[in-house]
Amino acid sequence: MIYKCKNCGGNAVYEPGRGRMYCPHCESKDSEEKIQGGTLTQCINCGAPLETKDYTSASQCGHCGCYIVFSERVEGVYEPHMLLPFHINKKAAVQALNREFSRRLFTPSDFLSEKSLEKMEGIYVPFWLYDYQACYDFTGEGVRIRTWTAGNTEYTERSYFEVVRKMDVEFDKVPVDASYAMEDGIMDLMEPYDYGQLRGFDPKYMSGFYGEVYNQPAAELEGRAKEKSRSASEELLQGSIQGYNTVRPIHRNLDLRKRGDHYALMPVWKYVYRYKGKEYQYHVNGQTGKVIGITPVSMEKVLSYSMSVFAAVTAMCYLAVRVLEIL
Amino acid sequence: MREYFRYFKWMYIVLGALVLLFVFLSAGHLALARMFGHDRDNQSCTTTERVFDYGDVLTDEEEEKLRRLIAKREKQTRCDIVLITLQESLKEYAREIEPGVGYDEFVRVYAEQFYEEHNFGYNSPNGDGIVLVDNWYREDDGRIYTWLCTTGRVKDKYSDAAVDHILDNVYRYVEKNPYRAYKTYINDFYHDMLGIQVFTLYVPGYLPWIVGLAAAVIFVVCNRRSKKGDKTTTALTYTGGVQPRFRVRQDRFLRKSVVTRKIQTSSGGRSGGSHGGGGGGSHGGGGHSR
Repeated sequence: MIYKCKNCGGNAVYEPGRGRMYCPHCESKDSEEKIQGGTLTQCINCGAPLETKDYTSASQCGHCGCYIVFSERVEGVYEPHMLLPFHINKKAAVQALNREFSRRLFTPSDFLSEKSLEKMEGIYVPFWLYDYQACYDFTGEGVRIRTWTAGNTEYTERSYFEVVRKMDVEFDKVPVDASYAMEDGIMDLMEPYDYGQLRGFDPKYMSGFYGEVYNQPAAELEGRAKEKSRSASEELLQGSIQGYNTVRPIHRNLDLRKRGDHYALMPVWKYVYRYKGKEYQYHVNGQTGKVIGITPVSMEKVLSYSMSVFAAVTAMCYLAVRVLEIL
Repeated sequence: MREYFRYFKWMYIVLGALVLLFVFLSAGHLALARMFGHDRDNQSCTTTERVFDYGDVLTDEEEEKLRRLIAKREKQTRCDIVLITLQESLKEYAREIEPGVGYDEFVRVYAEQFYEEHNFGYNSPNGDGIVLVDNWYREDDGRIYTWLCTTGRVKDKYSDAAVDHILDNVYRYVEKNPYRAYKTYINDFYHDMLGIQVFTLYVPGYLPWIVGLAAAVIFVVCNRRSKKGDKTTTALTYTGGVQPRFRVRQDRFLRKSVVTRKIQTSSGGRSGGSHGGGGGGSHGGGGHSR
């Protein structure tokens, strides 16, 4: 399916900055008209052949530039339960990247170019969101150590306590990406998303972006969600055990019960840049603007900056010593 | 370049301020030295030497550096500053002059005699001055003794605590670096006589280089970002900010145990007081042993 402008027939897209559908050709707002049909291999707008991958659910025609949402990949069992629309547009994502790179002191000065930033893609990444009820039973022995001195004798007092905790906590929508193309570690670092802006699925939000259908079913990815919930439960439990020098666990049992799962699409800006023969990938959270990715290091900058610090600090120390000597 | 100067702006401002402070203080210090500088009045002193390294614990170069420092500090303080190192028992010598004198005061007798025999004193024979005697010989009681003998204006100025302070500072370094210990004695004396209440900073020459190197390494480590990004979720991110509910939250006291340990204490010695010298002079001071 595609969204066409009722006024000019151009391709209407979702504009994150405005939070509504927009026609970039005649600048009409909310003038979209859904045109159903099309296949995975042929552009519904111009008839040109399309190159889609196994899990592509939205793409752009390389010939006419029209953004296409593939109905068969967003309907039925593939229909997302919810979607988080892009909140920041490409311009804001580029600004976020530039801000982040300027903070990284040793990034080469000639890194990034406006031209290459044009190729940044907005992608709806498939996620499974899991709900859990966690019940944690913990028994341990805590030791408090107190030391004091009287005369020429040092006293060390050890007080032993039985520490018992029975803790209940509910986790809602623990996210796990369901895309082979996206690295798990990077997707984990993209978190958190503001779930307050989650909406029921509407394919119009995908017009203007790329998208994927989930690559793996919920059951296959549940292990990662469990691990995240287990780790959070452990942290919360440890946070409740304070004031001890050591705590020795005697009994611990964490019962994680799944209350449900949801299929959702999350917004990510992806940018790939080749610099001196090496490929660098950056991902920007399409909602919060958080940037994930490694930047190259300029050895020239490392040397000149560190030598400056070395020379200046040495001179400062030397002068400080001389000043104190004079005093 | 603009990025470079914008980033290091404050570093260069601080450096510039330190340079200015240094220049300002150097000029002030020079003026102060000229103001206080005064030719010595005592023409009866039998020697111009101030560093008597009989114990041979200093190199020739170190002796020369100490002589130069003493010459400068004598003008600034208008007091004679003498340093004597020994490597011999003073038992017979001291008991011949003061029968029955204790081990800890052999060095006192020597210091007072030495000062009076050579007519030290900046303003007059046996006048304003100070002498440090550090005898590296281990006397029969197994200890090494040091004495700081004060005379004239210095005796009035120096309390027991002030003497202890100088000797403590000398003892801090004397075993590992005698030159540094004696330099400390001269500089501490200068600070005390000018009444400048500052803590004395002992910085080896290589330290600024080490600090500079450490700062550069820390700077590179902190700025050389190898991570893709920071984790910004917490344990409460997916609870909607709701704290966990505790059905049971109990800390029950079981038992207590107490272990005791005796603390070892170290021993040291101090002696001091005011003495009338054999030559009629009056000396103060105090001693330490190691």
